[in-house]
Amino acid sequence: MLKILIPTLLLIPTSWLAKAKWLWPTTLLHSFIITLFSLAWLKNTSETNWSTLNPYMATDPLSSPLLTLTCWLLPLMILASQNHLAQDPLVRQRIYITLLVTLQLSLIMAFAATELTMFYVMFETTLIPTLILITRWGNQMERLNAGTYFLFYTLASSLPLLITLLALQNKTGTLSLLIIQLLGPIPISPYVNIIWWTTSLLAFLVKMPLYGVHLWLPKAHVEAPIAGSMILAAVLLKLGGYGMMRMMLILSPLAKELCYPFIILALWGVLMTSSICLRQTDLKSLIAYSSVSHMGLVAAAILIQTPWGLTGALILMIAHGLTSSALFCLANTNYERTHSRTMILTRGSQMILPLMATWWLITCLANLALPPLPNLMGELIIISALLGWSWWTIIFTGAGALITATYSLYMYLMTQRGPVPNHMISMNPSHSREHLLLTLHLLPLLLLVFKPTTIWGSAY
Amino acid sequence: MSAWRRLHVKVRRAHGLFTSRRVTEQYTWMYGPSTLGQNLSTGKPLRNDFFKELEAQLAAMRKKAADALPGSSWSPFDINPNLPPERADIVIIGGGVMGWSIAYWLKQKERVREGVKVIVVERDLTYSQASTVLSAGGIRQQFSLPENIHLSLASADFMRNINEHLGVLNEDPVDLQFNQSGYLFLASEEVAHIMEENYSTQRQVGAKVTLLSPTQLKEKFPWINTDGVALASYGLENEGWFDPWSLLNAFRRKAMSMGVIQCCGEVTDFKYTVQMPKGLEYQMVECAIVVNAAGAFSGKLAEMLGISSNPKDTIAGTPVPVEPRKRYIYVVHCPDGPGLDTPFLIDYSGMYFRREGLGGNYITGASPKEADEPDTSNLEVDHQFFEDSVWPRLAYRVPAFEKLKVTSAWAGFYDYNTFDQNGIIGDHPVINNMYFATGFSGHGLQQSPAAGRAVAELILDGNFKTLDMRGLGFRRIMAQEPILERNIL
Repeated sequence: MLKILIPTLLLIPTSWLAKAKWLWPTTLLHSFIITLFSLAWLKNTSETNWSTLNPYMATDPLSSPLLTLTCWLLPLMILASQNHLAQDPLVRQRIYITLLVTLQLSLIMAFAATELTMFYVMFETTLIPTLILITRWGNQMERLNAGTYFLFYTLASSLPLLITLLALQNKTGTLSLLIIQLLGPIPISPYVNIIWWTTSLLAFLVKMPLYGVHLWLPKAHVEAPIAGSMILAAVLLKLGGYGMMRMMLILSPLAKELCYPFIILALWGVLMTSSICLRQTDLKSLIAYSSVSHMGLVAAAILIQTPWGLTGALILMIAHGLTSSALFCLANTNYERTHSRTMILTRGSQMILPLMATWWLITCLANLALPPLPNLMGELIIISALLGWSWWTIIFTGAGALITATYSLYMYLMTQRGPVPNHMISMNPSHSREHLLLTLHLLPLLLLVFKPTTIWGSAY
Repeated sequence: MSAWRRLHVKVRRAHGLFTSRRVTEQYTWMYGPSTLGQNLSTGKPLRNDFFKELEAQLAAMRKKAADALPGSSWSPFDINPNLPPERADIVIIGGGVMGWSIAYWLKQKERVREGVKVIVVERDLTYSQASTVLSAGGIRQQFSLPENIHLSLASADFMRNINEHLGVLNEDPVDLQFNQSGYLFLASEEVAHIMEENYSTQRQVGAKVTLLSPTQLKEKFPWINTDGVALASYGLENEGWFDPWSLLNAFRRKAMSMGVIQCCGEVTDFKYTVQMPKGLEYQMVECAIVVNAAGAFSGKLAEMLGISSNPKDTIAGTPVPVEPRKRYIYVVHCPDGPGLDTPFLIDYSGMYFRREGLGGNYITGASPKEADEPDTSNLEVDHQFFEDSVWPRLAYRVPAFEKLKVTSAWAGFYDYNTFDQNGIIGDHPVINNMYFATGFSGHGLQQSPAAGRAVAELILDGNFKTLDMRGLGFRRIMAQEPILERNIL
């Protein structure tokens, strides 16, 4: 663990001491090396499931894919931000990279935490760099509103979690995940346990986001700069899912009745947000709502607490992380050229940038869960698990899958096909940096087709 | 000692309060219930009465609640609201009738609500120097270029059904005061053949025009002196004049109701091709498309693109040939003048006049010769020009105008296209995201609805859909192929 944490920590002095010409290549290379080391986490050979164990941090098959995804994303974020930060003063570029690295650190510590307290503190810590990214480097006036929504939704829902964790510590004497998973059901008085169940999960449900409390997500995703959108979509949402999976071990016997309203909300959210996608005019907003839709499936799968549900949730989280981040990168390449996110003004780019159209196609197909990509694996396993729980859910999940396919194809056709507007004729050609960025997003996705068990979690 | 004094003062103050209340109570008691219902004072009430203003208070509470809910645009940080937003999709420079027409059509053609974010930048919201409001307001189809005829015909159709297009719910209907009295062109012997050729073009395109011989002219309009007139061309339908201010406001009101943002500011610079700061307080607006509808000042705006730094005979160095030209309009009063069916008469000598209102007032003017173009640094009126150039020709053509009185006059700018005096509609060849809708040289107002639609189609559909205006594009300026109107004057 320290062999990843200390290099990541030292990336901060690197970004401050590197010469201006070498700032981006250095940080990129450094973060790539960290990523290569982090791939070692994917090998889980322990019988108790916990590897790289020390009193405060550990990895297990649930957290190691998410950890690797987090480490994988840092070089990608640095790669994506290089262009739009080029005209900022040097100090601001350094601050930007520092923010990304602090976010990375808190995320690694959050996913690797064994104590729920450390997890909670790191969970809250991730809010601050993200807020700074959105409000300082976002593009429009609305980013202030977006930052406020993001901060207060998450903060307000996670403060009850703090109380719950303290109460739990009081009752059981420990908050270590290693011990809690072995405890039996925790006796709590009959009416308080409902409140207790809700408060422990609310923070994660807001983070996922669940449909009723998802309003912060379109705002935050749209107003954030590209690195902000990438990290939000790829990892921060999964923090909610991961937290839910960990917390529900403790909440076990209550989950059977209390999860009903949330499963219904999640499934309804899948349908609703997919339909909203069809009516979006703003490209980033479309991708943001598609994130909500996929995460609704994940939330429903985690709430039913079956082995297949948890497996499917984890697979979909990893696959969606890579796909959604890739979509945001593609939208950003469009935005950097035309300075507009409106889809009606940026059509027909297949004629102008044909190679980018390839990436658009693969990513949109990944979004609509094309076999044999892990997106389909995750969705299929989740749908089957939900079907086992109740066969009425097939209406929601089936219709949701249909509408997902519709809006993914709509996004592809709107941006790539159609008449080329006059103002797009002389766009800058694609940079090789952008091709590298998208390759690095899609390559893991393709490799996971061959060994999906890496991301199958502890149920395998 | 001092403590006691302070106490004494306090008591007096309290006593004062007490006294005033007693006075009002006495007042109401003495004068009985009949005056209680009637509020005789005309000032505001002393205290806020919650129940009297219940409606207003409830509305305020509802508004506060709506602001607090998600989905409202209330923001705790109220940064200067006069500045334009930091980002927009399409920025239209120039808030005249052309700019607002383009804004309206862009919103009309977006297929979903809030599809494109449009802002219109106008540096003078009083429109004191804008060509739109200083125009004579005429509309005619009597051009020689088919494109011009199409534009005017479509615009006339738009304006006849203006409330279908620009009517806003719960607001007053639009009244353009469109007097369809027609245009009357008079041709002398030398230019009569041009008029005949134009007539056949116009009829072919669909304009409702007719040719009149001098005798028919005298029959129809007995007040005309037909000396020197060989042929006259009279528009029967869709020609006349209207109120340009009403059209501008109708477009503006409708466009703003559809979500177009209006900014008061001046564009001072372009960065690369997409960002432009404006106003004394700098605000960079990041946008995808810029539309130059700045009218008479379009040429100066295009200079900011750095065209002049390129060599003159390259495509990149071709300047936008629009400059302001000053034209005068004089309002004259003549009680014995021509009647209510007076058309917009344009004489071959360059003089024109039309009826204004119902009180015997007329608007008149003339095109100056190329050599005597007036100075464009201000909008001062030269009355000598009326005495020298307009009145003699006016009096010659209409004898009744020998006795008239000039009641008022103003001057306005033409956005004069020095190249071929016809509009430029299209995108710039080198700077791909700048579109032009300027250079109409005096017939911009009448073509504004159709020209706005053409530009909106170009931006959103990529091509002209309803009317093909490729002939009016920038290409002809680069290729140095002018498409001149074959006017008779």
